[in-house]
Amino acid sequence: MADSSVPVRLASAAPNARVRRVPSKAMLRYGHLWFVLPGLVFFFSVMIFPAIFALGISLTNWSGLGTNFQFVGLDNFTNALSHWPFYRAAINNFYIFISILIFQHTVGLFIAVQLNEKPRFMQFYRTVLFLPVIISLVSTGFIWTLMLSSNIGFLNPMLEDIGLGFLARNWLSDTATALPTVIAVTAWNSLGWSVVLYLAGLQNIPEELKQAAQIDGANGWQIFWRVIFPLLSPSFTSLTVLTFIGTFRTFDVVYVLTGPLGSPAYRTDVLGTLIYRTAFGGSGFSNSDIRMSFAIAMALILFFAMALICWGMIVVLRKREIQS
Amino acid sequence: MTFSAPASAPRRRRTSARRSKLIFGLLRGVFLSLVSLIVIIPIAYMVLASFKTVPEFFGNPYGLPSTWAWDNYTRAWQDAHISITLPNTIIVTALSVVASTFLAALIAYGISRKEKPFAMGLYTLFVAGLLVPINMIALPLFFLIKWLGLFGTLFALILPYTAIGLPLGVLVLTPIAATLPRDLVSAAQVDGANEWQIFWRVVLPLMKPGLISVMILNGVWMWNEFFIPLIIAFKPESQTMPVGIVAFIGAYSTEWGLVFASVVVSTGPVVFAYLLMTRQFQSGLTAGAIKG
Repeated sequence: MADSSVPVRLASAAPNARVRRVPSKAMLRYGHLWFVLPGLVFFFSVMIFPAIFALGISLTNWSGLGTNFQFVGLDNFTNALSHWPFYRAAINNFYIFISILIFQHTVGLFIAVQLNEKPRFMQFYRTVLFLPVIISLVSTGFIWTLMLSSNIGFLNPMLEDIGLGFLARNWLSDTATALPTVIAVTAWNSLGWSVVLYLAGLQNIPEELKQAAQIDGANGWQIFWRVIFPLLSPSFTSLTVLTFIGTFRTFDVVYVLTGPLGSPAYRTDVLGTLIYRTAFGGSGFSNSDIRMSFAIAMALILFFAMALICWGMIVVLRKREIQS
Repeated sequence: MTFSAPASAPRRRRTSARRSKLIFGLLRGVFLSLVSLIVIIPIAYMVLASFKTVPEFFGNPYGLPSTWAWDNYTRAWQDAHISITLPNTIIVTALSVVASTFLAALIAYGISRKEKPFAMGLYTLFVAGLLVPINMIALPLFFLIKWLGLFGTLFALILPYTAIGLPLGVLVLTPIAATLPRDLVSAAQVDGANEWQIFWRVVLPLMKPGLISVMILNGVWMWNEFFIPLIIAFKPESQTMPVGIVAFIGAYSTEWGLVFASVVVSTGPVVFAYLLMTRQFQSGLTAGAIKG
């Protein structure tokens, strides 16, 4: 109703308007580009131009400070590919990715299935479980710094009080538990994605399909794996890609929980912190360690690798969607 | 008697089925409550911590604060520069969200018809922007902003936020713009509306649900963004809250009460908005995820 009133209002204004010019041919053909122009100028100057500029810097040995630089060709790229910390960070990212991926597709899916049974207070559960997604990664980092702190925290005194004191430890400074802790915090923050995405997928499945399978004599387990799960593959695809992009961009959580050095002993060092440190210098890093061009080369390698893997994942997973 | 035996078997089966359903329902409730507690406890614990004094952190780790230290908040307002960074965050987020959504709507309408020249190419170009890592363009961006004389102002953040928000906006809005009924547009044309009037009065109102999704989608990350201000904004005058808090903790690492009060202030508004519009937040955020 509200929409239909719009042309009417325009019509009443028409008598006052000038006689309309017939739009020229060029205007008809290219007129739409006027709408794109402001955004394009913006996009070009703030994203594309800096990206090209970054590509240029990556071919020099510029440190980011001063004006001394030389053209060094692809040296930064070859150095990055033989730079051990680069791989160490990538491996940590990979651990985070795989763990979160498994967590989302098991725990997240299980919770979504439970919520789809429409229990009492479902709206409440759903609201609560998605809440951490809204909370910033910086705040999440602080929340868990507090929870896990060895002297002011929640977890260690709690463990001691229920007689499990031997489990208490310095979660974030122990080399064995630092990375798993970062993963757990990331899982806490991102669980809501899988719950809501899978729940949306489950709610789209028509009830008749399940009933038909039931009549054919399938049990609950069979119905889930043969009927329901294949129909969830769009949720599976978007969740997997989303998790991949999110985990390989991990930065805020690590920066707040274990600092820009990825302490202890680089156990939680990820590509985000490595590139940041190399480009701008972290705490404990002197200016002489800053190698902007090298950092940008690493960021570019990451960008191309991620774009390629994302594209591959989407192709493979979409194909799977069609088959099922 | 002979008839009652077969009749009672299904009844018994039905009651046992009902009982197992009840048990499963109970287990489900317990499980979901436990998971919800894992989400709620840390948040609640931090809110409590924001009312505690430093000695109480050590003496009374998980009880209620014995006296509620409201002055954590008043001191955070001054010492942690919340009085500056909170308005900054509001201004930066509001302006960037509006600018970015408006520009994205213009682009989406412009390229929504596939048969027009360059439409698909432009669409691909904008959407490819989603993959550009921020740390790659951060330094050139830094120089661009210095060169424009915007360094130290809020525009140093608004400009990149608006541009980085565009790809998501174009991604979500272009399919919506493409399905708008063309009859309405041509009807407006017949009535003598020019292109601009058509966009403003016909297209924009019709895209409203999509626009709300995009605003939520971009608003949440802009409010929470940490990396860009970490590199571009060095002083409280131009910082937003996430960076302001991290900078503050570097300076006063033992003032935990103040830090958590700041975190509560920075998280509160988004959580409040989320609780008011849970549906829109969930569908808006997942709309971007599914298309991405």
